[in-house]
Amino acid sequence: MKIAIISDIHSNIEALHAVLRKIDKEKVDVIVNLGDIVGYNASPDECVTEIRKCEAISVSGNHDSAVHDLTARESFNVFANQAIRWSHFKLSKENKDFLKKLPLLAIVWDRFIACHGTLKSNDSYIVKPFQARRMFNIMRKEYQRINICFFGHTHRQAVWSRDVRGKVKQLKLNENPIHLNPEEMYLINPGSVGQPRQNDWRASFLTFEPEEAKITFYSVPYDLYKAQQKILKAELPSFLAERLAEGV
Amino acid sequence: MEIVAKQGKLKDSTIVTIRPMVKGDADALVKFFKSLPDDLLLFVRHNVRDESVVRIWAENLDYKRVFPLLATVENKIVADVTLHRVPFGWKRHLGKVRIVVSPEYQKLGLATLMLNEIVDLAAEFGLEKLWAEVPLDSRGAIAAFRNAGFSCKAVIEDLVKDKEGRNADILIMICDVAAHYDQ
Repeated sequence: MKIAIISDIHSNIEALHAVLRKIDKEKVDVIVNLGDIVGYNASPDECVTEIRKCEAISVSGNHDSAVHDLTARESFNVFANQAIRWSHFKLSKENKDFLKKLPLLAIVWDRFIACHGTLKSNDSYIVKPFQARRMFNIMRKEYQRINICFFGHTHRQAVWSRDVRGKVKQLKLNENPIHLNPEEMYLINPGSVGQPRQNDWRASFLTFEPEEAKITFYSVPYDLYKAQQKILKAELPSFLAERLAEGV
Repeated sequence: MEIVAKQGKLKDSTIVTIRPMVKGDADALVKFFKSLPDDLLLFVRHNVRDESVVRIWAENLDYKRVFPLLATVENKIVADVTLHRVPFGWKRHLGKVRIVVSPEYQKLGLATLMLNEIVDLAAEFGLEKLWAEVPLDSRGAIAAFRNAGFSCKAVIEDLVKDKEGRNADILIMICDVAAHYDQ
């Protein structure tokens, strides 16, 4: 069994298509989407349609929620706010309904948890050790049989581990696959498909092979120019196009 | 032209529009700075009563270097917050924040609203920490920065001069952008 974990597509259909082509080559059985299909970029409806078509197991991101939730939208900054209001008008009714029904969290085959931000909210982050430690504590208390949680929202690839003594650390990542220790707990972020923020413009995702307890990170190039031109043509903030090239 | 803006509500129910500054704001910004009392302009680094200074700013807007965010009420500028960035080196993850609020809109939560917005934008820009310098006796400004997630880090005594030439103390405040979003 091979599972692709994708997150933060953010209406970038060019990046999503490039990732789906790679996923196809890697002979993946199931796709798990950690939320934020929409927001920021210029192809919200196409991205939701594509995710529905590939029958990905999906959870809701804060931008997905904000399509319906006016209060959440108002708390977005000027750029995100502008993009989500625009997305609202571009999404079909069916795709809006699909986003509305997404759960905040999914427990997949009793093997791992999928969420967007944290186990408690799709709008909070795991970037600091104390935040990771807090999530591990919640996992130990509320999800005793599960030792892996995939999360997104930060747009940066990351692996946090907690060993049997309780020591929490962030692993250094490289191109090699990572073999997970069944006795340890993990919080794993695949990075972002449509708006990576790790100074690398390429679309990020990962594959997870549960039998071998192995994860592999991927960064794939896509038609960046086309994605940028669509943003400018849609009269979305030009900053959103510029940032794609810089990976911020 | 793209119109990037959102609205916010002050304590007295006034609706303000918050948006990045654009070239066409030069005249309104000149008016804004001319309406400010001398005390407030003391914290500004340039002679903004000189129209040419403001017009050069507007002509040479570069959001990657300085990101200016304005608050307007009925098309009149009532506050200006700027986020100053360093493109290279050991401070490339830092942003410096400066804010000026029109006296008639002070104590209405406008500074906090603008600072919350700039912290959110700093996260968008990939900044990790924000730095602000506030006069130690400016209780309102300190409260606004604290409300937006800044904390007091250091006091430097006698560092700056007030308009009478007396030395005054400066408070250094820092916001950890990532921790700010912890819930």
